Amino acid sequence: MPEKLDIELRNIKKEIELMGELSRAMLMDSVTALRDLDIQLAEDVLSRKETLYKMDQNIEEHALKVLTLHQPMAKDMRTLACVLKMITYLTRIGRYGYDIAKVTKEMGGKKHIKKLIDIPAMARIADTMVDDVMQAFKTEDIRSFEDLEERDDILDEERYSIFRECVTYMMEDPRNITMCSHYIMIARYLERCGDHACKIAEKVHYMVTGEWVEIS
Amino acid sequence: MTGMIMEVKDLNLWYGKKKALNQINMRMKKNKVTALIGPSGCGKSTLIRCFNRMNDTIDSVKITGEVLYEGANIYSPSMDVMKVRTRIGMIFQKPNPFPKSVYDNIAYGPRIHGTKRKKELDRIVETSLKKAALWEEVHDRLNDSAMGLSGGQQQRLCIARALAIEPDIILMDEPTSALDPLATSKIEDLIYELKRNYTVIIVTHNMQQAARVSDHTAFMYLGDLVEFAPTREIFENPKQRLTENYITGRFG
Repeated sequence: MPEKLDIELRNIKKEIELMGELSRAMLMDSVTALRDLDIQLAEDVLSRKETLYKMDQNIEEHALKVLTLHQPMAKDMRTLACVLKMITYLTRIGRYGYDIAKVTKEMGGKKHIKKLIDIPAMARIADTMVDDVMQAFKTEDIRSFEDLEERDDILDEERYSIFRECVTYMMEDPRNITMCSHYIMIARYLERCGDHACKIAEKVHYMVTGEWVEIS
Repeated sequence: MTGMIMEVKDLNLWYGKKKALNQINMRMKKNKVTALIGPSGCGKSTLIRCFNRMNDTIDSVKITGEVLYEGANIYSPSMDVMKVRTRIGMIFQKPNPFPKSVYDNIAYGPRIHGTKRKKELDRIVETSLKKAALWEEVHDRLNDSAMGLSGGQQQRLCIARALAIEPDIILMDEPTSALDPLATSKIEDLIYELKRNYTVIIVTHNMQQAARVSDHTAFMYLGDLVEFAPTREIFENPKQRLTENYITGRFG
């Protein structure tokens, strides 16, 4: 039986790694689509939503099946507890990519107020955070969590600075309001992705060590 | 020793030349359930049998160390073994009712301890059966043979029989391994009820059972006490690799 359980756990881990890749790709591609106002890429991101939802559902079903049939203990149990939470956070991250792609599509034909620099920079920080926690899940090396809070703080500050900048643009010219309100929303999404990465880190920390910590 | 009812100090046991228990040290809390788990032959049944001197009946057994019950060593020469077994009752793997009526099974202990009055015996039989959650099922057939009860009922009868002489500690050696899931669940509910008034020490091969019923769990391997900790810690985040391997089914 343990060999069977090991195989099941290995498969679930592979599934969630794939889901992590999909979520990250949805987020990063949506920001690229936004930056370049590339409607085709935005539509491509939109089309991946169903796959994301299916992965969420399949992994949940798979994890519950393993819980029921194997009644795992200790690290095996912690891994499944971690997986069951991770799928929610990864779905949210992918879903933010979907939302950004949707906004990009709505922008069709319009131009950016200025060259987009801060939003792609925020996206890169959020993406590295998600990448690090996914790597930690895979390798069980949690050293990269040390500066996660710091990086999350940078995302918070970036979001605030984008908000303030947008407010000035909107005051200058009310015609900027539509675009700026999109930028503000998107900055908020990216900041939330950082929060989700921290939540995943908490679960991975629990999986690896058995200890609960707060990373926010 | 506050809150502690039993303490094991440097306990070693040999069957002839073979050492079966190796320097065991542990403390059991009053009104708590302690589970002993480990693979076959690890010494858990031997250990639980030390707690009411059941191993005395085996000639080749040699024991060193102490088992303190409320501060007094039960292995001290001045200790009355009968008294030890009155205070520390035991339930075995297979239900072993006497081939007598339900009533006489329960009344047996109190009778030999000198209770003769019918009214008093009636009271003991009723309260013991109620405590063992069996009264509702057998109150109208107290004079029927206990051998006619189902396995699960027989096991609860044995628990009621142990309770009749008002012990402090109840030792259970795989009490549900011969029972079906329904009867097992009744015994588990009963263990939960019993800890209000008694201290329970249970040997089990069923890990989920240990996780469900006990407050503390001891993992034993090859005569050693490998890890002894709150049950949740043992099953969620054991400190010893050996414990983790055992409870996750990776050896054994």
